[in-house]
Amino acid sequence: MSDNRVRVLSVLVEDGPNTLSKVSGVIRRRGFHVLSITVGPSPEPGLLRLTLQVDHGHAEADQVRKQLERLVEVVEVEDLTGHDLHSRELVVARVAASDLSGLLEKGAKLLHSSATGATVEFAGDGGEVGEFVDELKRHGVKDVVRSGPVVMRRTA
Amino acid sequence: MVLEALEREGVELIFGYPGGANLPIYQRLPGHPKLKHILVRHEQGAAHMADGYARACGKPGVVFATSGPGALNLVTGLCTAYMDSVPMIAITGQVNSTQVGRDAFQESDVIGATSSVTKHSYLVTNIKQLPRVIHEAFHIATTGRPGPVLIDICKDVQQAEAESVPRERLEIAGYKPNGHADLDQAKAAAIALAGAERPVVLAGHGVLLSHAEAQLREFAERAAAPVGTTLLGIGAFPVNHPLSLHMTGFMGTGWNLKAVQNADVLMMVGMRVDDRVTAKLADFAPKVKTFIHIDIDGSEMGKNVRPQIELVADAKQALEAMIPHLPEPEKSRGTWLAQIDAWREEHPLRYTHSNGHLQPQDVLIDMYKRCRNEAIVVADVGQNQIWAALWWNYDRPGLFLNSGGSGTMGFALPAAIGAKFARPELPVWCVAGEGGFVMTAQELSVAVEHQLDVKIVLLNNFSLGMVRQFQDDFYGGVRSQVDLTHMPDFVKLADAYGLPGVRVDKFSEIGPAMDAAERTKGPFLIDFRIDPEANVYPIVPLGKSLNDFWEAPDK
Repeated sequence: MSDNRVRVLSVLVEDGPNTLSKVSGVIRRRGFHVLSITVGPSPEPGLLRLTLQVDHGHAEADQVRKQLERLVEVVEVEDLTGHDLHSRELVVARVAASDLSGLLEKGAKLLHSSATGATVEFAGDGGEVGEFVDELKRHGVKDVVRSGPVVMRRTA
Repeated sequence: MVLEALEREGVELIFGYPGGANLPIYQRLPGHPKLKHILVRHEQGAAHMADGYARACGKPGVVFATSGPGALNLVTGLCTAYMDSVPMIAITGQVNSTQVGRDAFQESDVIGATSSVTKHSYLVTNIKQLPRVIHEAFHIATTGRPGPVLIDICKDVQQAEAESVPRERLEIAGYKPNGHADLDQAKAAAIALAGAERPVVLAGHGVLLSHAEAQLREFAERAAAPVGTTLLGIGAFPVNHPLSLHMTGFMGTGWNLKAVQNADVLMMVGMRVDDRVTAKLADFAPKVKTFIHIDIDGSEMGKNVRPQIELVADAKQALEAMIPHLPEPEKSRGTWLAQIDAWREEHPLRYTHSNGHLQPQDVLIDMYKRCRNEAIVVADVGQNQIWAALWWNYDRPGLFLNSGGSGTMGFALPAAIGAKFARPELPVWCVAGEGGFVMTAQELSVAVEHQLDVKIVLLNNFSLGMVRQFQDDFYGGVRSQVDLTHMPDFVKLADAYGLPGVRVDKFSEIGPAMDAAERTKGPFLIDFRIDPEANVYPIVPLGKSLNDFWEAPDK
């Protein structure tokens, strides 16, 4: 899966029992592949915001947006690929080390600490989160969970 | 509640089958004499009947089925309607809302199983949702690019008593069907087409769905542009018109394929440009400088062929927007039309008729002579479908119905029954091979029960003819699992179901058998024992370009 086949989409959908399965069904049926998916409430009641990273496979790149738009559950699709974006991912990690200064210098936030280790969180763009995860390895990482990105257009 | 809502939507006819999870609906059905219900013999039959009904009259077909196996038996019929953009409402019973997810008796995930073959679907777990859902479902099924919508209703909701809720105003945030054409694009398209040296217009099912035949004809005549149709677009442009290219695609006419492959501007209206139209995609219409694509579904733009000018619009509105901008056609157009006439002479439709066997084309030609364009032909899938498409000169819309996108064997008989319910004033002919016919032959009971004038033309070649032809021509001549010698005696089968039938082995018997079919009120079956080696021509070998079409052997 090459990077240039990845589309980043921000999708406003109905909050309903069928929505996610229909979105993922279309992605599967059209030969696309989900790399990340983030779901959360939107400011409008009854609507959710999905952020998707999708490999469009052998289909034309604009097919991801167009096929999603056909779903009645989908209210709005923005294909943000290539746009100037704020793209933020979250990582939460449990580490063994007591010396957390390296992590805190990078901007990590301490969530919990005890004699056996500490739990930290870090948010950043994909590259920063990647570097943070590399840094974690030097601190005896025990467990790490990562979210997919949420994105917003950068405006002046 | 369900039935009141259907009455409000103007439903008159339902094709269905009762079972445990839709008993409450059926309990109330006798209290609604305005709703006529046709009891089918298999749920797939109900779906195809509703499909044939919708194709024949334009109103959405309505289907009832119970949960689990009942609903799952609809899947092929839903897919057939979905692929061909046919409006349909399927109302399935679901187990009680408190039982959902517990693997209750006859429970299945119908939404999950049908999502990819419906335009939209609903699971109704609360009576309060029902009036809105049913109203929305009809709106979605019949507007924009039509399609089947499924409503899965839990049994306790069917039983719930509710005040008759006034229909809510429709507000569907995620559904905005396209209609109007962008005027600048329409103008650009008109100018591009009129300025072409070698223009070709291809018309699909979308032209029929938007009733744009008159606009297409006016457009073609004013632009002096030849028009071909897809298999599903047959009827969108009169085959006898001097500008007609007849059917396109990998079993299209030679002059059509020559025109497409030599065109410099190709306008595709109301069609998906699928693989059966393009054959080898990389070699499709290689000389075209400007592709113009008009379709109501924006996702069709560039899905297979990237157009230079695109109009996401209803076909009629797009053509109406284009016509006023058509300049005088290029003066050199006469050369192009003469060239097409030369190709028409050079590559006529032809078939073998010197080997002593009954030829399917002779059957269809006889049928056409007696019906002209005053009958509906419903074809099944395979060789019979292509023969029926090519050997009739359909000059009006709605006369030829078939499963184009899905290619569903067993479609013809139930769809013909549905078409007859929709258009009782027109003769309906069902053309099928014996392979597809036996897949849904149980619906003969419905034709007999309602004494429907459906004439069944069985083109019986004792084999799966299209598969046999492909094996002969493209798979090394290895005939594998295509022999259908062991089939019922179809005249006796007809008799067992209670309809008359005759067998025809010879050319001279075609006329008398057809006479008998026409004289008989109610259903009639003719078992035509045709040449077992008869093939469909022209045909483009699989994987080859449209240039490489094979013609019938010259004998």
